[in-house]
Amino acid sequence: MTPPSVPQIEYQPEPAPVDDRVPVTVLTGFLGSGKTTLVNRILTEQHGKRIAVIENEFGEVGVDQELVIGAEEEIFEMNNGCICCTVRGDLIRILGNLMKRRDRFDAILIETTGLADPGPVAQTFFVDDEMQARLRLDAIVTMVDAGHIDQHLGVEREAKEQIAFADVILLNKTDLVDAQRLDDLERRIRGLNSAARVHRTQQAAVDLDHILDVGGFDLSRALEVDPAFMEPEYPFEVVSLYELPMGSYELVLDPGPDPTMNVLLGALERADAAAVDERLMERVLAFSDEAFWVRSGEGIAPGRGLHRLTLAPEPMRFTVMVDPGGVFGLYTEHRPDEYGLRLVGPDGPVEPVDRLEYAPQHQHDREIGSVGINVPGEVDADRFQEWMRVLLREKGTDIFRSKGIVAVKGDPNRFVFQGVHMLFGGTADRPWGEGERHSSMVFIGRNLDREALVSGFTACLA
Amino acid sequence: MSGVARAVREKVEPGLRTAWEVTLPDHAEVVKVSPDGTRVAAAAVSGPIEILDAQSGASLARPAGHRMGTTTLAWSPDGRLLVSGGQDGRVRAWDGVTGEPVRELDAGHPWVTAVAWSGDGRMLATAAGRELRVWGTDGDMRAGWTNAASSISDIGWKPGSTILASSGYGGLTLARPGGDKPPRVFEWKGSVLALLWSPDGRFIATGDQDSTVHFWYAQSGRDLQMWGYETKVRDLAWDATSRYLATGGGSEVVVWDCSGKGPKGSTPKMLQTHQSFVSALAYQHAGRLLVSGGFDGLLGLWAPNRTRKALATLEVDGAVSRLAWAPDDHWIAVGSSLGSVARLDVA
Repeated sequence: MTPPSVPQIEYQPEPAPVDDRVPVTVLTGFLGSGKTTLVNRILTEQHGKRIAVIENEFGEVGVDQELVIGAEEEIFEMNNGCICCTVRGDLIRILGNLMKRRDRFDAILIETTGLADPGPVAQTFFVDDEMQARLRLDAIVTMVDAGHIDQHLGVEREAKEQIAFADVILLNKTDLVDAQRLDDLERRIRGLNSAARVHRTQQAAVDLDHILDVGGFDLSRALEVDPAFMEPEYPFEVVSLYELPMGSYELVLDPGPDPTMNVLLGALERADAAAVDERLMERVLAFSDEAFWVRSGEGIAPGRGLHRLTLAPEPMRFTVMVDPGGVFGLYTEHRPDEYGLRLVGPDGPVEPVDRLEYAPQHQHDREIGSVGINVPGEVDADRFQEWMRVLLREKGTDIFRSKGIVAVKGDPNRFVFQGVHMLFGGTADRPWGEGERHSSMVFIGRNLDREALVSGFTACLA
Repeated sequence: MSGVARAVREKVEPGLRTAWEVTLPDHAEVVKVSPDGTRVAAAAVSGPIEILDAQSGASLARPAGHRMGTTTLAWSPDGRLLVSGGQDGRVRAWDGVTGEPVRELDAGHPWVTAVAWSGDGRMLATAAGRELRVWGTDGDMRAGWTNAASSISDIGWKPGSTILASSGYGGLTLARPGGDKPPRVFEWKGSVLALLWSPDGRFIATGDQDSTVHFWYAQSGRDLQMWGYETKVRDLAWDATSRYLATGGGSEVVVWDCSGKGPKGSTPKMLQTHQSFVSALAYQHAGRLLVSGGFDGLLGLWAPNRTRKALATLEVDGAVSRLAWAPDDHWIAVGSSLGSVARLDVA
């Protein structure tokens, strides 16, 4: 008999059969965020669903048709020393008992204490066979108190982690702050987790369809939950498309808010969005290369790679030699209009044919964030699995969530995957549609190395 | 002549025959045969309890059980009381024949996991959450302590002794209630789900969440860890001689031989008949037969000391939830996930 090994990557070539397991929603959020209000709504409002609620302490029991059970938050480490095998022992006992009953529930809601790490709760549903056979972790829902989250995000690691883990974020108590503030908060939340769906609520009033059975961990529904999933973050905010005959041009900038700006001028096949898409990943990778530092008066050349413009407090001019002429994309780290950026040719200003925005509109957090990867083309199945295996083994502690859809060379079906820390599962999904084949994924976690993730994945391309 | 008769007798393996079957309102969470073999007590996971006549299966009494669910039952050694625990934090003693309530105890926490009578019937131990309490027959609490590490998953009195073992996350605790010695702790960084003393008191076997089985030498506290199970191990059964331990934790019944130098480094017997994980195990009180039940609803009857083939199999509806041998070893009480409770005669 040999010791078990984790993590395991299961590549199932066939689509999974219909899942009739009971969906489980995990509700996290700091004290005062409105979790109790939400639970009370679920227990008292007429919604026609039978819901069992596992509260974070022993409370009153049995309100009409619902069942309320208190939990202990007992976190058990499994003996093999792997962080992914930290589970909630009390939930195994409580839910194991619940699943034996003839009473069937439409959904189960587990409320955690304010400072809880969602990891062990989520892992319980993957590590324990009995849980996995009968229950389906559906989503992690994190409640955020719009009035106080700023304080929490400043000091409490747990607040950021709860947001980073979430499939659904309820920005609650929106009546306490103005619209501008709410937009700022939402940007900040998106900076921590670009994949979650955010709902604004007052008094925790939310449509139950937004928090129950939303499919956050459902492989084939992963994309439904993630409106921002297909918009991974890019190192440039705007690509301006120019048709430039051969000649000498000048890039003219006014002073702006930043001391430097990365720019890249690259040739394109055509002046349209599809042509930009074709070379998108190539340009993303070029943005992670070492930049040529250039000052006002110095030159920029197409095809030379990344340039870092040193920005001065007075107007700046950079020379641009175009030879031969053609279609070019000007990739800029910041928005051109923030600097009055314009291209001036021998015959005066040249207007771009089009401008494509890649602005993530996220406010970045130094520690916790998301990395999205979206690449046309196919991966080699063996290399991709090996890359994920090593990545999750080495970085799984810091990667809270991972999910994606991958085009595998030689496989007509989409390969979809989901992970929580080091636990990972993947399966074949529906066949790809015409012209759809591409690979998208998002990693959410602590101290993620965007360049390493992008280049690691790119190396798996077939 | 006698030699021929013996040979014939050895070829006739025992079979299983259903004597009666009744249905509880929900999953049969516990099934226990009274010490005199005249009654079967069974509890539904949702709470109701039945005391059944072992001959006919007729209902003798229906103690109310526990709101929110009954989790555990134990007959007093004299068979006069049936004790139950549930998710209402109460332990109740019922008259073992009439089902009338006799006494109610506060277990100290809303979820009672286990109740166990000491072999002499003088003490009742109750475990609820982290609270372990020991009661006299008069209903007075004799001792009580709080387990530091976690909720208590299981308890067991050492056979013929007043030493009580309890398990949870972090290992085992052994104590003599009311004694002046501090409890002994057998530490292990993992979650113990079930414990079972060998009848000779030499070993405590534990089944664990991380798909392992441990053998603890009760004297020294030394342990052996057995790896490689398919899933968590909840079902354990010792044979009467303390030589064999049968364990679940997979679709095969794994039987360890503890004779000689013990199970260390040995290869266990693997008994195959179940199509899904084993869910219940019981050895005869005095004989060598083992009965196993699975989530597939199959029952297997085995003589693991002489053959790896099932002597007989039988299928019930739903999963097998509990198995218990009658004191005379002639029949088995079986409970199922669909609530059926049946008597199976072994003949």
